[in-house]
Order: sequence, then structure tokens, then C-alpha cells
Amino acid sequence: MVAPEVVIAATLQQVVLVYASLAVSIAVGIPLAVAALSSRTLERTIITFANLVQAIPTFAVVAIVVPLIGIGFWPAIFAIMLRALLPIVKNTWIGLSSVDPAAIDAAAGLGLTHWQTTRYIRFPHAYPAMFAGIKFAAILANSVAILTAIIGSGGLGTLVFEGLAGINVTTMLAGALPAIGIAIMLDVSFTRLEHRLTTGEQGRQTSTTPS
Amino acid sequence: MIIGEISAVWEHADLTERTIEHLWMFSVALVIAVILGVTIGIVLYRHRSWAEPALNGLNALETFPDMALLILLIPIAGIGEVPTIIACIIYSLLPITRNTYTGLVSIRQEIVDTGTALGLTEREIVRKIRIPIALPMIAGGIRIAIVFTMGIVTLGGIIGAGGLGAPLQTGIMLIIPPLIITTGLWVGILAVILDGCAGIVEKRLTVRYGEW
Repeated sequence: MVAPEVVIAATLQQVVLVYASLAVSIAVGIPLAVAALSSRTLERTIITFANLVQAIPTFAVVAIVVPLIGIGFWPAIFAIMLRALLPIVKNTWIGLSSVDPAAIDAAAGLGLTHWQTTRYIRFPHAYPAMFAGIKFAAILANSVAILTAIIGSGGLGTLVFEGLAGINVTTMLAGALPAIGIAIMLDVSFTRLEHRLTTGEQGRQTSTTPS
Repeated sequence: MIIGEISAVWEHADLTERTIEHLWMFSVALVIAVILGVTIGIVLYRHRSWAEPALNGLNALETFPDMALLILLIPIAGIGEVPTIIACIIYSLLPITRNTYTGLVSIRQEIVDTGTALGLTEREIVRKIRIPIALPMIAGGIRIAIVFTMGIVTLGGIIGAGGLGAPLQTGIMLIIPPLIITTGLWVGILAVILDGCAGIVEKRLTVRYGEW
């Protein structure tokens, strides 16, 4: 039998791991996507690299982090970030770059600078794709965060690996089931957030349009 | 010197054997997933009303962490190759089924009408028109499934399935950096090659069937 407080503590650690790595991924990913807009070569390098990393199995990424930067919480965050980065970079970049060229021309005609165009024209347009990417990244982060317990990150994976080592199904499930719960919660809450933010944005746009 | 070290690690960890195990599980899982996924996609096309609940269900399964899915399968299927292959199939079903269904459904009406005008039956339209036009989409789904399957087969090493995940786990547990780096890079290279090949096939099919 697993003590409930152990499960609760592991669940909290899991949530911290997910949100910390998600925050780092967003902080790295969105500037990368914006940078990709500025030059063709940079765009190609970033997207090709992101696609390549995506194909590599998660377990290999987590393992290779060990000889490079060691074990523990931060190496785990780094490993999760490598995984969660691609959906954020790619979706943000798709959103930012698929703006109607006419809208960009109009902005230039109004005298908006490059940064103003990015901020006021490209970003509002990119929100739906961006949030879809962030939601996907959050679910991915939760999944990788179980595995990183093998390199000492803590979280629900600790119970999973403990259960596996002792061939104890109850302990394994005490780790796996809350992780599934977190996945479903992330999915539902991010879908709601996405909905609210994107409809809010549209509402603001229509309200500022002169009639 | 580096090459000497790599070949020593390779020999010692029996990586040739592990690679064969790995690719064997990968192929079995992928073949079953493709057959099942395409079949379900076609069935959903025939019964449109089932499509939404079925795809939503597969979508929900997809949010499950892969490791948690493997653990859930242990009480049912034990440890080793069988639960690993089952988990690969469950994960790969969504991209293949969804793309098959979308490919079959989202075809231009004129093309179907042309088929009807030529006197093709509904079954012939599916076989000779809808499926070929859906091929690039289906290939795209299979490509995603290839990446998923490669990832989960590697995880299988943790639940005793062998393959290249096993030496990775040994490397982490006993802290043997050369073993981790050699195996990790090798798995990475294999995965990138497989994904690249799938990408080429997808592109060819798009060139051949995509301009309708």
C-alpha cells in the first residue's frame, strides 16, 4: 500500500516539473519563433533542427542529458524543455508567418515599425496556433516528466520506477493514474484557456473596428 | 581512439543484437498499427456518425503519458515485448486513423461526381478514387506513427522488452557515460533516418497523387 501523502507529494512535484519546464520552453520557444521571422537561413536552421530533435526518442534525449549535464531537477527540466520546445516554436512560427501579406503591407503603409507589426498584427493572428502548441507541449511535458524520474527529477515517475523495481503493481499505478489525471486536466484547462483567450482577442478586435 | 571506444562499447553491450530486437518490435507494431488504423479509418468513413466519438476517444488516449500507458498494460499483458507493442499500436492508431478518415472524406465533390458519371459503384469509387487521393495524407499519418513507435519501443527497455532502451537504462543506472552516449546517439540516428525515409515516401506520394 502506498501512503496517500506520498502520492500527493509526488503529484505536486510532478505539477511543478510540468509548469517549470513549460515556462522555460515558452520563454525560449517564442523568441526563437520571432527570430525565425527575421531571416530565411535562421528560419530554416531553427525549423530543421526542431524537426530533427522531435524524431529522436524521448528516452534517448533524457539519457544523453546525463553525461552532458548530470542528474537531478535542472537536467530533467532541460530534457523536458528539449521535448516541449518544438510544438511551441513550430506552432508560433506557423501562426506568425501565415499572416495575410496584405495586412502586413497595410501596417507598413500606416507607418508601423517591424516590431509594432509583429506585436500588433502578427501576434494576435498567431494566438490560436500558439496556444494549441502550448497545450500540446504541456501534455508532452507531463509525459516526459514521468520518465525523468529515472534521472532523479522526483515526481510521479519515482513511484512508477519504485513499483517496477519491486514488482509492485499498486505502487506503479499510484504513479501512473495521477499522471493520467494530470494529463486530462491539462488538456481540459488549456482548451478552455485557449477558447477564452482567442474569443476575447476577436472580441477586442471587432470592438476597436470603427463602424 | 574514439572509434575504438565506440566499438568496444558496441561489442560489450551487444548493440547489434539489441538493434535487431528494436527494429523487430518496431516493424511488428507499425505493421499492425497501419493495418488496424487504415481499416478503422475506412470503417469510420462508411459510418460517419461513429467518427467523432471514435476520434475523440483516440484523442483522449493520446494525452496519456506513454510511460503511464505502459504501466497500465502491465497488469493485463505482463512485462516485455507484448505490452510494448500494444502501447505502440494504441499510440499510433490516432494519427493513422484520423489521417485516413480525413483523407477519404475531404475529397472534392467534382471528382466523385466524375466517377459516378463514369458508372463506378460506391465501392469502386472508394477503391479507385478516394483511397489513391488519400494516400499522401495516410502516409503523413504513418510518418507520425513511426516517430511515436520508435519512442515507445525505446521506452520498452524499461519494462524488460529489450531493444535499445535496455542498454540506455543500464547506462543510466550504473552511470556509464560511453554506453549512454553511444546508444543514445545510435537510437537518435536510427530514428532520424526512419523519419527521413518516411518523409521521402510522403513527398513522392504527394507529387504523384496530390494534384487533383
